[in-house]
Amino acid sequence: MTILTPSRILGFGLAGLLAASLGAAPAAWTSKHAARGVTCVQCHGKSGKPTAVPFRQCQGCHDPADLAARTAQAKPTNPHLNRHYGTQTDCTRCHHEHKASENLCLPCHTRFTFKVP
Amino acid sequence: MSDEPREEGQGPDAYTRRVLEQGLSRRSFLGRAAGGAAAVGLFGMGASPALAAAVKEPKAEGFATSTDGGATLTFLPKPKPIRDREISETLTFDVVVVGAGASGVPAALSAAEHGAKVAVVQKAPFALSQGNTGSGIDLAASEKAGVEALVARLIADSNHRCDPKLIRQWAYHSGEAVRWVIDRAKQGGATVVDQGSPAQRAILKVNGYSMGYVTSFFGPKPYTTGDGMRALAKTAEKAGVKFFFQMPAVQLVQGRSGEVQGVIARGHDGKYRKFLAKKGVILATGDYQNNRAMSDYFIPDVKYLERKQMDRTGDGFALAYWAGGVFEPIGHTKMLHDFDAGPASMCDMPFLAVDRKGRRFVNETVEMSLLNNYLKDAENAGHYSQVFDADYMTQAATWPGKLVPPEGLKNYMPDEPGPKKGVFESQVNTHKAGTLEELARKLEVDPATLVATVRRYNEVVASGKDSDFGKPASFLAPILKAPFYGIHRRVRVSAICSGMLVDEHHQALNADGKPIKGLFLVGNLGGGFYGGVDYPLTVFGLSLGRCYTFGYLTGRHVARL
Ligand SMILES: Cc1cc2nc3c(=O)[nH]c(=O)nc-3n(C[C@H](O)[C@H](O)[C@H](O)COP(=O)(O)OP(=O)(O)OC[C@H]3O[C@@H](n4cnc5c(N)ncnc54)[C@H](O)[C@@H]3O)c2cc1C
Repeated sequence: MTILTPSRILGFGLAGLLAASLGAAPAAWTSKHAARGVTCVQCHGKSGKPTAVPFRQCQGCHDPADLAARTAQAKPTNPHLNRHYGTQTDCTRCHHEHKASENLCLPCHTRFTFKVP
Repeated sequence: MSDEPREEGQGPDAYTRRVLEQGLSRRSFLGRAAGGAAAVGLFGMGASPALAAAVKEPKAEGFATSTDGGATLTFLPKPKPIRDREISETLTFDVVVVGAGASGVPAALSAAEHGAKVAVVQKAPFALSQGNTGSGIDLAASEKAGVEALVARLIADSNHRCDPKLIRQWAYHSGEAVRWVIDRAKQGGATVVDQGSPAQRAILKVNGYSMGYVTSFFGPKPYTTGDGMRALAKTAEKAGVKFFFQMPAVQLVQGRSGEVQGVIARGHDGKYRKFLAKKGVILATGDYQNNRAMSDYFIPDVKYLERKQMDRTGDGFALAYWAGGVFEPIGHTKMLHDFDAGPASMCDMPFLAVDRKGRRFVNETVEMSLLNNYLKDAENAGHYSQVFDADYMTQAATWPGKLVPPEGLKNYMPDEPGPKKGVFESQVNTHKAGTLEELARKLEVDPATLVATVRRYNEVVASGKDSDFGKPASFLAPILKAPFYGIHRRVRVSAICSGMLVDEHHQALNADGKPIKGLFLVGNLGGGFYGGVDYPLTVFGLSLGRCYTFGYLTGRHVARL
């Protein structure tokens, strides 16, 4: 039986999640972005204290419309074009860099079993 | 027909008095928190909002925890006011609506139609709402005694805890408002019909008096009121309303005496914009189901129950509270449904029901909309299954509701190939199996437990008396013949329906019962319309009907100020 964590129940916002993940970052900081030469400050800002990555920051490099077009055939539905946010789902609701990614759809849509990279 | 005349000069009515005494306002918080009168004197009503904000909110330790000990009053510290130099742009309107949902979009259009220059700031990238049915009373087709009888029924549904004047306001204005929504949404290209009185079969007569209804239906699924509000927003744009998307409101702009002058919102670009409102700000941000602290504090019942909405973090509650508004007392009203796993018309049929393990747990004449009360623990978390056998079409033929034949049930079965119609494909959860064990696996309950439950249930049925739960004998049908059927429902929080104290103009009241100038609250953010443990299904579509109606009336009222 699935145990419901608060974030699963409430679909909690990214702020809390990021705060948690940033706190644990240094030990676990393996990152696909880093592997491609993206530096910490490019996402987290220069101010000594790393900040949560706002959606617009992701969009500096990734075009959501483009992404939605590329996953248009995804089954059972296109996660990047949905009824809740259109193409504007904040990337960090699912995709994480310093901890396991998660599937935002799943708690409500139990058969949307995407593998989230 | 008109509203009840208002009693003048007699102080607040019973509803308002109770909320003022027992509700939660910033004043009561600071008072309780800092332990008494001194704090009230210092940071209370006398102080300017700026001063109050500058004072660090006291820590909640050691007082005022919720009944289960889990939630405290620390969830609403007032933030430091955003300073003018942080504002990238200031825009001025007559009316600023916050939230483009079932109450906000009607409020904005209504204000514009009455001559106001209107802005809507919306958190999401487009208008968002949910549900299909929104209802009102067709006064021309109703006897006045019937209208009053329905008002009395709705007050009783709310355990006599609601504000009768708001119920009457819905009763006498909803027909006009819902018709207006249908008409204007159609102009924006919506798929909407008036299903009228036939959609309200159980209340065509109330206490013997005749009634007629306007029942707007945006659908069928997956088309919803969300699509409807997007269409209505198109009409609003044509009427001159300016929409600002991905622009959540974060603070109110208040003058020296606390009057609300506008809203500060944060754009997608991370920059703050100030929206000044010459006539008033209408908050329409929906409920707070996704705000854990607020939920745990005001409605701990739903702690382990899943949510149907997202991003309803009670932003409007916080904004109104910081401005001096008053929360309705703890014990808010909830709405939990599952109309999607199987046919809606079968959800209240008293088939055997089992919990998430496979045990019988209730006299099944309890309606689906109330079952959450039996399933609110972490393990069940709102899950249960209705179970019946191959003979259900004959065995249950006379039960309340409407049976869907086996062929039609396939539309609700995830294991059946082929496209589905009029349902959310990702939510259907009806199953068929050759054995009870196989059915149990599909329903995700324990097979041995289900088999034992059915064996015991069949004994009860054979005896002709439900000695376990007292269900009427006419609803006892054995479960013997394959194929066996099951509908795995999970009731989740559709909405939380309690809000903050308002008067009949939907203007927020402060802890003294005085209107807060410039601040109006509609939709589920507005208080006074419910009060019971659960949202009543007497009028199907009451919630959306009320949102449309109060949005429509409030937009007009503020535009005329
Ligand atoms: C699945 C489902 C089905 C339902 N079916 C029905 C039905 O058939 N009939 C019925 O009567 N009721 C139904 N309901 C209940 C009904 O949908 C709600 O009660 C109703 O939508 C509430 O309207 P509202 O205007 O208060 O909030 P909403 O319609 O939720 O709108 C609130 C809006 O405010 C925006 N917002 C939030 N915070 C901010 C912010 N800080 N700044 C700017 N914008 C913000 C949100 O994005 C949202 O668009 C259903 C609910 C659910 C979940």
